[in-house]
Amino acid sequence: MADAAISGHDHERPGFFTRWFMSTNHKDIGLLYLFTAGVVGLVSVIFTVYMRMELMEPGVQYMCAEGARLTAAAVEDCTPDGHLWNVMITGHGVLMMFFVVIPALFGGFGNYFMPLMIGAPDMAFPRLNNLSYWLYVAGTTLAFCAVFIDGGAGPGWTFYPPLSWQDAPTSRAVDFAIFAVHVSGASSILGSINIITTFLNMRAPGMTLHKVPLFAWSIFVTAWLLLLSLPVLAGAITMLLTDRNFGTTFFDVAGGGDPVLFQHIFWFFGHPEVYIVILPAFGLISHVVATFSRKPVFGYLPMVYALVAIGGLGFVVWAHHMYTVGMTLNQQAYFMVATMVIAVPTGIKIFSWIATMWQGSITFETPMLFAIGFIFLFTLGGVTGIILSQAAVDRAYHDTYYVVAHFHYVMSLGAVFGIFAGVYYWIGKMSGRQYPEFLGKVHFWMFFIGTNITFFPQHFLGRQGMPRRYIDYPDAFALWNYVSSIGAFISFASFLLFIGIVFYTIFAGRKVTENAYWGEHADTLEWTLPNPPPEHTFEELPTREMWDRQPHH
Amino acid sequence: MPVLIDTPNGAPDITGALSRPDQGAPRLRLRLTPHKSLTPEGFVWFIGVTAALIAVPLVSILGTAVFWALLPFVAASVWAIWVALKRSWRDRDIWEEVLVWDDLIRLERHEPNRPIRDWEANPYWVRVALYPRGGPVPQYLTLQGGPREVELGAFLTPPERVGLKQTLESALRTAAL
Repeated sequence: MADAAISGHDHERPGFFTRWFMSTNHKDIGLLYLFTAGVVGLVSVIFTVYMRMELMEPGVQYMCAEGARLTAAAVEDCTPDGHLWNVMITGHGVLMMFFVVIPALFGGFGNYFMPLMIGAPDMAFPRLNNLSYWLYVAGTTLAFCAVFIDGGAGPGWTFYPPLSWQDAPTSRAVDFAIFAVHVSGASSILGSINIITTFLNMRAPGMTLHKVPLFAWSIFVTAWLLLLSLPVLAGAITMLLTDRNFGTTFFDVAGGGDPVLFQHIFWFFGHPEVYIVILPAFGLISHVVATFSRKPVFGYLPMVYALVAIGGLGFVVWAHHMYTVGMTLNQQAYFMVATMVIAVPTGIKIFSWIATMWQGSITFETPMLFAIGFIFLFTLGGVTGIILSQAAVDRAYHDTYYVVAHFHYVMSLGAVFGIFAGVYYWIGKMSGRQYPEFLGKVHFWMFFIGTNITFFPQHFLGRQGMPRRYIDYPDAFALWNYVSSIGAFISFASFLLFIGIVFYTIFAGRKVTENAYWGEHADTLEWTLPNPPPEHTFEELPTREMWDRQPHH
Repeated sequence: MPVLIDTPNGAPDITGALSRPDQGAPRLRLRLTPHKSLTPEGFVWFIGVTAALIAVPLVSILGTAVFWALLPFVAASVWAIWVALKRSWRDRDIWEEVLVWDDLIRLERHEPNRPIRDWEANPYWVRVALYPRGGPVPQYLTLQGGPREVELGAFLTPPERVGLKQTLESALRTAAL
């Protein structure tokens, strides 16, 4: 029999190294994820700024074969180095997709707040959680290696063969990129197994699936998508690796393989991947909108089933990324219609957010600004998605800047607005100090204006026919490229401001003592805890009154 | 329900009951288990839907070498989530059993990978103590009056422990008469 321990269990606070390097605490690991993702994000954003500098004027001024430079070179001094450009877009794509947005939203906020929202004391497998984080760090290191070793990897984040063949006999760069994705994939799979198990088996008593907060739901659906899609990616790039190094011919026509097959299995992973990026933001935005509209979320159940439907549909639409590879008419018609169907659950979500705001007493604190920005810009990106989903129209738009504008509207302006909304919403909870409201608003407006100036003109460039993934362009595209670059610089400045705001908040922000400092409509379980929450939370199971504030759900 | 109460008039005997031939069935049996939110049906549904969805890409590559290269990854991930869910159940496969006769109260604690721990005392001397604060959990429940003080139902919710105290005390009072 367990002996009674009435004195409680006052164990010593762990030291710095033990706490941050050997952590098994979901909150500490969540913070680690957020900060690491922030650092990698900064690097990845610096890549884009460099690319926008290059694209600002026609001709090549910075990425020269004579050496990459930070000041513009005269035409006669510079031989364009297209490979460096490819390395930049590959680095930006791989880092942003695998090492910034997923770790921030899923690894960071998911780890920190999903167990709190369902009243679990920690993740189901805390040590596995630690392993996930460190695999992510190792993967990041490999991704940086892929940029710098042997001239850098430049097949794009999609690794299409034969582009990914890239000097296989002599260059190890693409192998590093593949290993980076492998390791980050292993990290995400372990993380998602952990999150699925936690969500399914550790919910508080009485918290049925129809009562789980939307953010926890969105993290669960994301984890499920990761579990279903990443093994397929792992298989695909493993075959790529053996093609490159061991003489197999899975995707090599010369040996009877088929490169289009790679595109199929890549996009079977790739399309769920973009939902993996955006779904946690959906969940998060629901809480932010409800909190600042001072109303419960409109249509909780439709919101949940829309999440699940978007996740499910994500698995049956992959070939809309590859209309131009030569599919039959029936295949194209199917993928077109299936893709358009996604607009229905997405529309339900957008409708419900607006209905949540409808007649609410809205206040525009920074998280709410980011949430409204998210809804507006994500909808805009979704509409261009519907345009691109049409196989016939896609013939014209495929691989133009229109596509670039589309996916940056849904991801850069969607997922990243979600991340910022989450940071401002929860930073007081996580750090115990509140951010300066005025600077937060300045950040929002700079970022909103900057990103729109960056990406909206890219629609025009796409309609003019400017292809993506080129270092240079004819003079005809000069105007909107110039404008787009100005926008990128404004966005970058706003990102630096954001970093400043975060560190100011952590070290000198105003202390917040009230548990639910956003008011009574921030009613999920994390708001019953002090700021920051203690090391151990919900060791005793929370009771129903603590989380079931709207029994009519 | 994490607290199962079984009295002599109740349901027929279930597994693992300690039988004492001279005293007959215990007057009160309590079985305490931690809360698990995943039901067996939920497990079947989850694994089934996962396996079905993850098989979709295999259809598009049937008959190619790529199929065989992809299959192990797909199978491994289904296996991994299967094992993880089972493991999570097993981690919480812990239960405490309280048996009360007229002259004996017996506690057993069953944990995976550990021998059964037990505790016995005479009900006459047993007191049920509830510590609203100061214990590892709120409303910490212990039994005093045996060889040592032991905890009871630390994995339950606080209101469940309060209810448990009343159930136990009434059973002990009757036993002591």
